Amino acid sequence: MSSRDHTELANPFDRSSVSRRWWLLGAIVTIGLLPLVFQDSYWRTNLIVCALNVMLAIGLDFILGYAGQLNLGHSAFYGIGAYVSTLVITKLGLPFWVAFLCGIVLAGAAGMALSMFAVRLRGHYLAIASLGFAVIVHQVLVNWISLTQGPLGIYGIKPPPEIALPGLPVISFGNSANMFYLVAGFALLFYVLLDQLVRSPIGETLTAIREDEVSASSLGINCPAWKVFAFGAGSAVAGAAGAFYASSVGTLVPDAFIITESFTILAMVIVGGMGTLIGPVWGAILLTVLPEVLRGFGDLRLVLYGAALTLVVLFMPGGIVQAAQIVRAQFDRLRARLEAG
Amino acid sequence: MSDDISGRVAGQADGRRNSDKVLFRSKSLNKSFGGVHAVRDISLNIPHGGVFAIIGPNGAGKSTLLNLMSGLYQPDSGTMSLDGVDLVGLKAHRRVRLGLARTFQKIRLFKHLPVLDNVIAGFHIHHDIPAWQYVLQGTAFRRDYARCRDEARKLLSFVGLEERAKARAGSLAYGEQRMLELARALATSPRLLVVDEPAAGLNAAEVEKLLDRITQLRAGGMTVVIVEHNMDLVMKVADRVLVMDYGQYLFEGAPAEAQVDPGVVAAYLGA
Amino acid sequence: MSTVLLQQGINGVVLGSLYVLVALGLTLIYGVLVQINFAHADVVTIGAFAAYFFTFTFGGNYLASIAVALLVGAILGWLVNAAIFAPLRERGSELLPLIATIGVSVLLQNVMLLWFGPIPYAFDSPYSNQVIRLWGGTFITGQNLIIIVVSTLTIALLYAFMKFTFMGKALRAVAQDRETAGLMGINPNHLIMLTFVIASALAGMGGAMLGPILVLTPFAGTTVIVKAFAIVIIGGFGNVEGTIIAGLLVGLIESYTTQFVNPGLIDIVVFTLLLMMLAFRPTGLIAEKREENV
Repeated sequence: MSSRDHTELANPFDRSSVSRRWWLLGAIVTIGLLPLVFQDSYWRTNLIVCALNVMLAIGLDFILGYAGQLNLGHSAFYGIGAYVSTLVITKLGLPFWVAFLCGIVLAGAAGMALSMFAVRLRGHYLAIASLGFAVIVHQVLVNWISLTQGPLGIYGIKPPPEIALPGLPVISFGNSANMFYLVAGFALLFYVLLDQLVRSPIGETLTAIREDEVSASSLGINCPAWKVFAFGAGSAVAGAAGAFYASSVGTLVPDAFIITESFTILAMVIVGGMGTLIGPVWGAILLTVLPEVLRGFGDLRLVLYGAALTLVVLFMPGGIVQAAQIVRAQFDRLRARLEAG
Repeated sequence: MSDDISGRVAGQADGRRNSDKVLFRSKSLNKSFGGVHAVRDISLNIPHGGVFAIIGPNGAGKSTLLNLMSGLYQPDSGTMSLDGVDLVGLKAHRRVRLGLARTFQKIRLFKHLPVLDNVIAGFHIHHDIPAWQYVLQGTAFRRDYARCRDEARKLLSFVGLEERAKARAGSLAYGEQRMLELARALATSPRLLVVDEPAAGLNAAEVEKLLDRITQLRAGGMTVVIVEHNMDLVMKVADRVLVMDYGQYLFEGAPAEAQVDPGVVAAYLGA
Repeated sequence: MSTVLLQQGINGVVLGSLYVLVALGLTLIYGVLVQINFAHADVVTIGAFAAYFFTFTFGGNYLASIAVALLVGAILGWLVNAAIFAPLRERGSELLPLIATIGVSVLLQNVMLLWFGPIPYAFDSPYSNQVIRLWGGTFITGQNLIIIVVSTLTIALLYAFMKFTFMGKALRAVAQDRETAGLMGINPNHLIMLTFVIASALAGMGGAMLGPILVLTPFAGTTVIVKAFAIVIIGGFGNVEGTIIAGLLVGLIESYTTQFVNPGLIDIVVFTLLLMMLAFRPTGLIAEKREENV
């Protein structure tokens, strides 16, 4: 079930390759301008969180919206990426970008392991297994005190090292604008990568698996292998988000990765429009920004997420993308009527 | 145009057109579910080319046999091979690469996807793109993309659905959905196409159309297996039939002889 | 030493019977609908709060509050089915109802958070501090005794209901094959509603009894639900006997792990068991085969 249901209505977010280039340019320009518009550290932190959420949401959408696997354990991969990258730096003394890679690889491996483990399990079983996995990971982070310092957390995590290119001013990532550019840049990169995959026969393969596995097998598709691939890719992206989270926030506690976090990412994917990739981007942005704007009403963030998730599933299952399609269709009809009459 | 399709599809997959050779062979296949012995000791030889029908009353075990052939179930005992390659233990998706394709009795299209995309899904094993081009989509990618769309349209044309390429598969009429399933299975370029109860739910005109397509495929050299319970239907196209009842072999041979075989007649009249 | 073993055994049975109450609701719903109601946990929490307020704010009898919680649970079950599962049934999606109930769960928990605050409520029933000496030097609190008695009675009644009454058999018929049950004059929708009401009533009741022994916050349900899932899977989705056995097993495991190992590791142990179960015997302890029809 995804926004693809409405294939006869043109998806206003589905662009030809020419207009895609314009959208990409627009995204780059927007990313460039945002820290200039928002100069205070509060909003800059929000921007970074927003970029992290986008990364998490598109990773989950690849697994859930395209391969059709209900992964309720995405928070675990986020946490694995964060802790692995941090510990590689603090315990092994390796440089940031090596640690970053380790975080991605281990999170991806964990995702593949979970998927291989659950390969024969149908929808609900997989959902519970992934939930169980997330609980285990969280509990390990809490209890393995010698490694993770448990609930006390790890403090003083440094941002990525400065980049000094000849002839250019030194880029320091202690500067929140630069940190935002880094995280948002990677979010954009991951988006483009996943988008390319989705528009290739791999996307078709995953969609076939999502729609009907038996059918897909009868066409030669090795469903278990592709599900493992989707899980690996989605969780690797979550791992990258984790590494950036640790180095931008500076402190790491296990409770940042409780299972509720999985649900909030799920909400972003569903509210945005599962299976469209761009939908979850909007979903992440909306659900990160909106609670901040509504701050005056108390900490309504999770109430908002819960309500949005329920209402969207009940009344607009295709999320923001579906809503946009409906609006666009209305506009077209209005325009046609104006032109005729 | 249709000769071209079936010829190209069959020829692509198998240069040999030796109608004396056996394409699919099975020996003493057995499959039980709990207490039900669905397939008992079935041995069959399906020759290259031609239409082979597996018929029998409802509950005879035909669908189980089909599922054993396609790999959805594994047999409890017995052997199977496709052109000499042992099938037992081979997963369903691997058999497609050997050239075995099937349709389903209960239509299993990707209902939310457009008609064209359903057919393109069938090209999964035939993509010719280096791995890195899945991301940095270069020349080979574009060529493959165009080729797939082109061939998909030809297949749709073969089954008479070219007008409906953009429509959602779920919005098609039942008969059209059956034809779409056929086109999708053909996209895998099979040597052996197994069609499960193709006439179920179709009216007379639609059945004619379907049988016509199957005849064309045979003319192009493809081996087609039809599983059907309606004997009259199958007699028009089949070159050879296997009749089953209660999971067991009743008769194998020419259709005309099947119709007068006393065992077969008893099974159908009794059922 | 054997006293400790026995004592933890008793505690384990107490915990286990509560888990069974909650898990039974989940397994019943799954049996009939092949759906998971994620908000089931929050019915437990709401039941606990309902009992709390009935006892302390309205000065009611604690035992009566269990009945109140049962009623509240039943009403919630009716609401959830009517608002979410019934409308989504037409869409025929396997995963959407689960996702919707995740939304409801998050919503309920955080509304309760706004309303009741994060600080745990001290829910002492009049029986919490009564101690009854048993054999071998062990003891049981009055509260735990009530839990065992009420749970056992309820579970036994439910089991009898499922096996021997027409309604119970009809429920099982709908679980096996909804269409055919419909053809036999059973209205599946009514039965599904009945299942929800029973399941949620059980959860509410469980909450009222859990309140005094758990840390009562809006998130009390979460600690129970994930374990309830584990139990349902270990016992086998839709399998009543399996759930009972698995629930008691998990209760005992938890009790012994707390005593002899690190309490922080309980979740890890239970969930590793869950994952092992899924790997090797996904259909549960008492296997029930469901062949897919092609």
